[in-house]
Amino acid sequence: MLMLGYSSAVVIFCTGLYTIMARRNLFKTVIGLSLMEASVLLVIVTSGFIPGGVPPIAPFRGVAVNPLPHAFTLTAIVIGASDIALALAFIVKLNKHYGTADIDKIRGLRG
Amino acid sequence: MNIRLALSRLASMILCLSFGMLLFQGIAALDMDNRVTGAAAHYLSNAPAETGANNIVSAILFDYRAFDTLGESTVIFTAVCGIAMLFPRKQILHSARGLSFITRRGIGFVAPFILMYAAAIILTGHLSPGGGFQGGTVLATFTVLMCVVYGSGFESTHLPPWKKDLLESAGALLFAGVGLFGLIVGTGFLSNLSAGFPSGAPGTLFSAGSIPFLNIAVALKVGAGLSTIFYCMINIVEDRRGS
Amino acid sequence: MSLVLAVVTPLLCAFLIPVFHLVWKTLPVCLVGVMGLASLAASLAAACTGWVSPAASLLGGWPPDLGIVLVADRLAAPFMLLTSMGVATSLVCSLEKYGGGPWRYYAIFFLLAASMNGILLTADLFNLFVFYEIFSVAAYLLVASSMSWQAMEAGLKYLVLGTMGALFFLLGTAFIFMATGILNMALLPEALSVVPRETLTVISTCLVLGLALKTGAFPVHFWLPDAHSSAQTPVSALLSGALVKVSVYALTRISCLFFLSNGGGVFRVITIMGVLSILGGHLMAFRQDDIKRLLAFSTVAQIGYILVGVGCASAAGIAAAVFHAINHMLMKMGLFITSGDICERVGTRSIRAIKDTAGVLPANVAIFTVFALAIVGVPPLNGFMSKWFIMLFSVTDTGLCPALAIAAGTIISAAYYYGVVSALVGSVVRRNTGSPGNNDLDSPTVSASSVITGTFAVLCLLAGLAALWPPMQSSFLSIGETAVDIEGYARLVLGK
Repeated sequence: MLMLGYSSAVVIFCTGLYTIMARRNLFKTVIGLSLMEASVLLVIVTSGFIPGGVPPIAPFRGVAVNPLPHAFTLTAIVIGASDIALALAFIVKLNKHYGTADIDKIRGLRG
Repeated sequence: MNIRLALSRLASMILCLSFGMLLFQGIAALDMDNRVTGAAAHYLSNAPAETGANNIVSAILFDYRAFDTLGESTVIFTAVCGIAMLFPRKQILHSARGLSFITRRGIGFVAPFILMYAAAIILTGHLSPGGGFQGGTVLATFTVLMCVVYGSGFESTHLPPWKKDLLESAGALLFAGVGLFGLIVGTGFLSNLSAGFPSGAPGTLFSAGSIPFLNIAVALKVGAGLSTIFYCMINIVEDRRGS
Repeated sequence: MSLVLAVVTPLLCAFLIPVFHLVWKTLPVCLVGVMGLASLAASLAAACTGWVSPAASLLGGWPPDLGIVLVADRLAAPFMLLTSMGVATSLVCSLEKYGGGPWRYYAIFFLLAASMNGILLTADLFNLFVFYEIFSVAAYLLVASSMSWQAMEAGLKYLVLGTMGALFFLLGTAFIFMATGILNMALLPEALSVVPRETLTVISTCLVLGLALKTGAFPVHFWLPDAHSSAQTPVSALLSGALVKVSVYALTRISCLFFLSNGGGVFRVITIMGVLSILGGHLMAFRQDDIKRLLAFSTVAQIGYILVGVGCASAAGIAAAVFHAINHMLMKMGLFITSGDICERVGTRSIRAIKDTAGVLPANVAIFTVFALAIVGVPPLNGFMSKWFIMLFSVTDTGLCPALAIAAGTIISAAYYYGVVSALVGSVVRRNTGSPGNNDLDSPTVSASSVITGTFAVLCLLAGLAALWPPMQSSFLSIGETAVDIEGYARLVLGK
């Protein structure tokens, strides 16, 4: 169960990384960033899981899972969302100037 | 597809695959003993007594590691401030018309319940899953719903941008103020029960010391901030349709 | 005085600015100045605490293994001094150029200052990540604050690469948490020694790659020239002078704490990145015609020098790297501010075009020449001293290759700085020999920024001479010793 979570996280991370490196459309770059962020959060949450565990809300009806990864994930989700909102804002403003979202054409600064 | 593009894509794919294998080996080398150890074990057993909150994740977020939460809400504050700087709104448009009469009356019935739901998430953050971030997002989504149903003129009359800026700053200053209270009293920045906040009985609404205040502060910040982001970015589409 | 005030004071100033904006449409300059002074005072107090009596501050009253600890020691203190000087200088230049009008710019500015102090003081790995994200988002926004399309493009490139770096860093932190369950940087060196070798490789790769993306080391430096050249002058000065040093601090602290005793390959990688940055940065700068882009590539090369110093993994090497970081801040901020003034007067940023104009002031050129000589490495200025120390210690610790790269880099940088200075001198000569009609650009005003750049020029000379003085050398060596002293750090944080 844990290995399924970890493996899918690794696959999603590499997919996101490949999307950023190899795709030309800026929106796909943002999707790639979002995928990478989601996979890292999946790794964090899976690391705290205990098979057969209950949510960490007192009083517990069994073995509680690790609450620290949940706190980290909540923090990291907000931070990732802010980054992606900012990326989309930049893309909207760049689109106004260049008229396109293709990274090969948005190369005004070169050298 | 020319050769250079294909080769570069192949190189990227090989790089990603090898990195993925490296990650996988790193995970496989660890032996997972399914026990909670270290600081987390202390949190699980002692958090209701030391912080007064039943939701241990809230206790970690707003008491043990409250400085992280201050930093995280500052990230949102910075991003909102920046997006508002990138899209300056010199005039507020009233151009959208909203949806039909039936939808508007219907949403009028549902709106109080949505707001009550948001308030419940925020105020019971220390008792059940929820808290300031989640409730604040519901509040921001409520303002987005209002824009879709009633048009963007709704926002300019009821919640103009300066009010949202004020709410966001108020939330941020409340968070920092609660922290400074602990510093002035002498028990440390962002301290909870040791600074004298009333503990109450664990499991009731008025408990957990300063955690409900911090939840409200974060909800104000997040709600006002996300709403500002939405209204800053959509007005561009309205500009093009209007001109 | 509590260390947390160094973080909270700029944070409060930033939160209060929107409230002040509702009262005054344009913020009064003295109000922003007072807030800047308050933040400067808090940061300097924390830096003094760190230098004289290193201390730890427990947040929320929780013991170190449960809560977050802020710690100031001899490694953080010079970086705090550096960043507060940089922030103060940039704030003064911004106030002079823009007045109190752009209030969101100042809010983001104070948030940046707060986050830099947070990074320098924290002793918790996830807290480092959170404050690094505030720092990065504020930096992306300051780059884009001039609203030109170049600034937007540079900001987007910086954002994509910076967020990738942040996600790699978070992945490394996740692996550390998976392997040990601890995130306190003082408890981790011991905990990491029992982690299996493959996991340690993954952790070191992710952390170093993430921090390298954020620092702008050579293979992944693509955002740095665009960002530093497209931003406005005070922002470029702050970026090159102070922001990259904070990233270098984070890299140094993490490598020394986690990998000094656990895996020596990390420092070799840092040295290689340093050598590549030196050669790559200088070679690319040689080809530039735009003066700000040339200075930005020069920053890439100077980061390479600092990384070579850090890669020595010894107290002396790290001390030399810190000395070069301080010198580079003085030199590069001076260069950016002076060249910003020059470009504004002349109206162009192209070096070839500057040669054909006649509007450059002799005073500006003189100060620019001092900084250029310092950064190339002419004795007895400070640039020569710090480069000499880095070469010396890298030969003993890492071999001959970095020293050869440093020597080659010095020759190439001499070539391109000579080109810039000769263009400027050519413009001054044209102004003095003819064109009587251009005297409307004449009035040599004594502005605050020129006072500051003059002071920096004098400090360059003084720092260079001071490096020959043994008590100064031993205090710098104590910085390096603090960096490699893992048990001392643990003792300071855990309070034993």
